[in-house]
Amino acid sequence: MLDFFTIFSKGGIVLWCFQGAGVSESFTGPVNALIRSVILQERGGNNSFTHEALSLKYKLDNEFELIFVVGFQKILTLTYVDKFIDDVQLHFRDRYKNELEQKGALKLLNNTFDFEDRFKKLLREAEETSKARSPAPMRSFKESEKSQKTVKSMIETKGGDKSKEQGGKKNKNTKKEGKQSGCLYFNCILFIMMIFTTHSKSPKPPKPKGKVNRVWDNGGSSTKNLDYSNKNGETSLGEDQKNLEVLIFLCLFSPFSPKKSGGFGGMFGMLKGLVGSKSLSREDMEPVLEKMRDHLIAKNVAADISSQLCESVAKKLEGKVMGTFTTVASTVKQALQDSLVQILQPKRRVDILRDVMEAQSQRRPFVITFCGVNGVGKSTNLAKISYWLIENGFSVLIAACDTFRAGAVEQLRTHQRRLNSLHPPEKHGGRPVVQLYEKGYGKDAAGIAMEAIAYARNQAFDVVLVDTAGRMQDNAPLMTALAKLIAVNMPDLVLFVGEALVGNEAVDQLVKFNQALADHSMSDKPRLIDGIVLTKFDTIDDKVGAAISMTYITGQPIVFVGTGQTYNDLRSLNARAVVGALMKA
Amino acid sequence: MTENPLEPYIESLRQQLEEQDPVVLVGVIVALAVVVITCVFLKYFLTSKTVRSAVLLVGLCDSGKTLLFIRLLSGKFKRTQTSITDSSAPYKAKNDRNCTWTLIDLPGHDSLRSQYLEKFKSAARAIVFVVDSAIFQKEVRDVAEFLYMLLTDPVVYRIAPTLLVVCNKQDVAMAKSAKLIQQQLEKELNTLRVTRSAALSAQDGSVGGSVYLGKKGKDFEFSQLPMKVEFLECSARGSKGKDGDSDIESLEKSLAKL
Repeated sequence: MLDFFTIFSKGGIVLWCFQGAGVSESFTGPVNALIRSVILQERGGNNSFTHEALSLKYKLDNEFELIFVVGFQKILTLTYVDKFIDDVQLHFRDRYKNELEQKGALKLLNNTFDFEDRFKKLLREAEETSKARSPAPMRSFKESEKSQKTVKSMIETKGGDKSKEQGGKKNKNTKKEGKQSGCLYFNCILFIMMIFTTHSKSPKPPKPKGKVNRVWDNGGSSTKNLDYSNKNGETSLGEDQKNLEVLIFLCLFSPFSPKKSGGFGGMFGMLKGLVGSKSLSREDMEPVLEKMRDHLIAKNVAADISSQLCESVAKKLEGKVMGTFTTVASTVKQALQDSLVQILQPKRRVDILRDVMEAQSQRRPFVITFCGVNGVGKSTNLAKISYWLIENGFSVLIAACDTFRAGAVEQLRTHQRRLNSLHPPEKHGGRPVVQLYEKGYGKDAAGIAMEAIAYARNQAFDVVLVDTAGRMQDNAPLMTALAKLIAVNMPDLVLFVGEALVGNEAVDQLVKFNQALADHSMSDKPRLIDGIVLTKFDTIDDKVGAAISMTYITGQPIVFVGTGQTYNDLRSLNARAVVGALMKA
Repeated sequence: MTENPLEPYIESLRQQLEEQDPVVLVGVIVALAVVVITCVFLKYFLTSKTVRSAVLLVGLCDSGKTLLFIRLLSGKFKRTQTSITDSSAPYKAKNDRNCTWTLIDLPGHDSLRSQYLEKFKSAARAIVFVVDSAIFQKEVRDVAEFLYMLLTDPVVYRIAPTLLVVCNKQDVAMAKSAKLIQQQLEKELNTLRVTRSAALSAQDGSVGGSVYLGKKGKDFEFSQLPMKVEFLECSARGSKGKDGDSDIESLEKSLAKL
């Protein structure tokens, strides 16, 4: 019932494959789609993926750098697939351990991996176990627990409740003890002491008491007790000193305790972990990943994206053999840094000038649309981008499709006048380099955009920049209007303008914008957001996490970075610098 | 004349040395000898590290790099998927000198290629740039951008490794010839020189690729580059599909000439 099963190396060489009976299509396409969308985009958190009619599940083997992928029809719900992949992985590793341990890629080419019989046997076993488990029959009333209880035991009284609660608390405390005694030896002793002291205070039934004089701690009966000059003074100092010594003692030992195995063994274990090859397990990576997750959140990366990223990095590193003198922390940090750089690298070519030239040769204008929520800097960055385009010799038409906000058209007119004075028409062949196409306020934005593009084509403008009104992602009618503008006019580039100060909101904004664009377009290949403009980058120091959130959600590159309010404050993104600022402690 | 000012110093030095304990003298001489030997060793090791013996296989995604890698090493045909890490293996060139290079296959996906190029570019002896000739017309801008990024990299410009542009997938009917691909790339790189130098600088002020391709004022041609550039045709899959031999003799000959 499986469509296919492949085992291939991370370098791309297929070691063994199996194609189900009656399946004629090649599986290379779906598996490549899986690699590109899941593994390379760091969405490795959940291990299943759907591509057209197929559902794919995969497993990474990081010790030998292999990937196991299974594909089956989406409509079938096969319950044995997860366990089946694990079994196949274990069997394959056991059988070919010697061949796989050699270094270099030649081992994959010279050996043939005959896994057919073993695989068929495992598949048969898996299918049989799934069939054998028939649905459990319902229990009759006589067999259930409720019939065993007496009516009296089900009546709740105050005293009985309290005793049950206490029992529960004790269980929780002992469980906590069990976990922590493994790794925090001295802190555990303190914890046990604290538990015993709290348990000594058992709840007493309140006795009716008469009014008693309140006794204050510091209000002694005479001032003689406050005289600390002679013998009283020495003993109190001595106590303080002893407490200080205990504190220092604890502080010295606490850095050593929170490593892998507890107590004094922990120190030797840490040294042992530095030298020699050790394979990483989930438990080793967990504390480091927690710290990295909190660090990312502190740097303004959205919370669920941080956890998804850490999950994906954990999956990529599980089972990997570390080299000598590398600690778990450094390996995890390096892997996280690599995945962050990978996310920020654009997945397609980003060269607007070249695309504008291409459109110029085809005698049509290059249309860029700016969308985003209110107040992120759409009009300001539109002006900066038109300045950049004019500097490179293109003529620009600005379409004022913001017909709602008061002063939007005037703002664009002011920018147009300033740009024309900076690049006077005499120097550019007698024609003004920037023109504004506006139809006032209150009209339909999609209609204005269509007319503007037709006008640009007639007058041979090179670029059309369409400015839209800011809108909240929850505002359904406005989102419909935006989707209609984009679907009708089919711009070459749809840029989402987002500010770098945004935190978890970025996820919501982008998801809802993309959703609206996909829902309201009539075609089956809807135009979604093609690029991101990150604005107000000068207002954040090194809390640059918004860049990661936005590129992770959409998978689209950051095309421009706005770093100020003058025309020159337009930059491109340098992935390495941003990741460096992000990982800096 | 110059001897007279130096002589009293030499005399006093000789007197001091003779006054010293011989053990101390021996110790000083041994220490000096150790320092000199360490310097010699360090120089030897440092220079031997920069010996470049890697042949890199780069190109866009799906251009056939991994299959070419397999064919060069073993001559067999194996199915391949998109690579996500590099693969390396020693390769024996088919020439009289029998030199061994390290053949390294880098992933071509956009988000990975710069990372792996950073790692391996300083050890490159030759770069094999694989181009998919069948869909070249659609991808010409992406191919040119990758080639531009490669050629304007300061490290690559300094080392100037041999560039072998391999036009793969010649077994497909619509494949373009190497000459056509060369002309189209030259035209495209000419345009890219202008657009790339006008590109925005990065947000921390750094400007990428300060190398100018070719000669200013003249149209770009591959002969203007400081490195040797060669255009080849080959077919990794071979004309008969899975069972036939691949058609990579020209590539093997060029690799033998390195």
